[in-house]
Amino acid sequence: MNALSHAVVPVPSLRVLVLAQDPAMGRKLRDLACAYGHRAVQRAGDADVALCADGATIPAGIPAVICGARSRAVAGWLPADANAIQLDAALRAVAAGLVVRSPAILRDGFEALRETDPASALTPREAQVLACLAQGLSNKAIARRLDISPHTVKFHLESLFRKLGVATRTEAVAAALEHARIATAEF
Amino acid sequence: MTDALQDLAIALARSAQAARRLVASIALRHGRHLSGTLWRPDVLVASEQALPRGEAFEVTMADARSSSARVIGRDPTTNVAALRLETFADPPPEPNAAVEAQAGSIALAYGADGTGGITSRWGVIQALGPAWTSRAGGRIDRRIVVDVRLSRSEEGGPVLDVAGGCLGITTFAPARRVLVIPSATIDRSVEALLKHGRVARGWLGVALQPVAIPDSLQSGAGQRTGMMVMSLAESGPAATAGMVAGDILVSMNGTPTQRFRSLASQLGPESVGVETEIKVLRAGALVALRATIAARPPS
Repeated sequence: MNALSHAVVPVPSLRVLVLAQDPAMGRKLRDLACAYGHRAVQRAGDADVALCADGATIPAGIPAVICGARSRAVAGWLPADANAIQLDAALRAVAAGLVVRSPAILRDGFEALRETDPASALTPREAQVLACLAQGLSNKAIARRLDISPHTVKFHLESLFRKLGVATRTEAVAAALEHARIATAEF
Repeated sequence: MTDALQDLAIALARSAQAARRLVASIALRHGRHLSGTLWRPDVLVASEQALPRGEAFEVTMADARSSSARVIGRDPTTNVAALRLETFADPPPEPNAAVEAQAGSIALAYGADGTGGITSRWGVIQALGPAWTSRAGGRIDRRIVVDVRLSRSEEGGPVLDVAGGCLGITTFAPARRVLVIPSATIDRSVEALLKHGRVARGWLGVALQPVAIPDSLQSGAGQRTGMMVMSLAESGPAATAGMVAGDILVSMNGTPTQRFRSLASQLGPESVGVETEIKVLRAGALVALRATIAARPPS
């Protein structure tokens, strides 16, 4: 991020209290929050917002975001594998008094392994572009990430929109998140 | 008509009475609780996805007796967690002759109310299907969907049929639909957890997504779809074998990897420690890698 964009859009950073039982998880959450210019603090009294891993004790008195769990005690629910963009958006939203719910965590539940119909399988490039879309990347950022031209990104997006049956980018992002959840399996 | 209603009321009360001996309340933090079901004299089962991490929990039965319960093991593949009651043992009521679940028949779902009592829900078996494979690769003996509405704290309680037979325990599917983990599946999982503390699954450490193999490579690969590696677990078996994100997995030990289910079936308990040949498409060429399948680490 350059000085000019700071000057044009003042984006205040938040003081974030990171709470996790597992030190490695704590570091990961701290890095994600700091990637967007937020500052980690040690005491609840100094913090604007808390960022908790599943299993951490939720502090009273400040809004909190929890990763990988749902709890009525906190304003923000994110999946365990939330990315930096989602984390940043959630921290700012709960600090502003809003409630954040990720569709991934709302749709959580025990379910069957679903096979994709081979006829509707995406091409490798489309799958990569869709994964980038699910992470909230812009066309330019997708082009950089995949080392292809923005024009080619547009071409793949058009084909993706057709396959997913969506008309707008917002719909496509929602469909991308859902697709990433259903079509990806871990082995 | 009155007689029929009275009979029904008596039968329901009797069912609830039997359920009282099965239902346990598992205390969680912040005054919350979860339901569990007594499965053997000193073994309790709960929904794995709903049970927070931890080694031991305080458990209260419907007659107000409480005990510490130590986690024996967790099986995410069938969504079963087993806990051992440390201070008392009660044989669960002998289930009446196991009646086959029937679509449309009445299902009674019970849970713990958190204050020593039970909650009752009444519905029907909304859908009944054959065995299925869970996302985590577990075999679930039957697909049983019940049309009851449960609160989060009731998950893991028993589901009885009208004859008093235990169909299994409740578990949430996406969108809060309620599934029953069948008794036969729970029996198998509990058996393995008691013996080994876990249900072993083979693990490669990759997130895969089916993709269409580009036309120009189809003849070389000999198939039209494969599984693209979306991400890898750090120092997992696949990463150690040299697999990288973007590779398209086309076969494992000569078997084409086109369906998740066939891949899952190659990663059963017996696969752990086995060296396997993996073929991937990388930059247009077929590359052979050798990976040693590991045991899936606890989530």
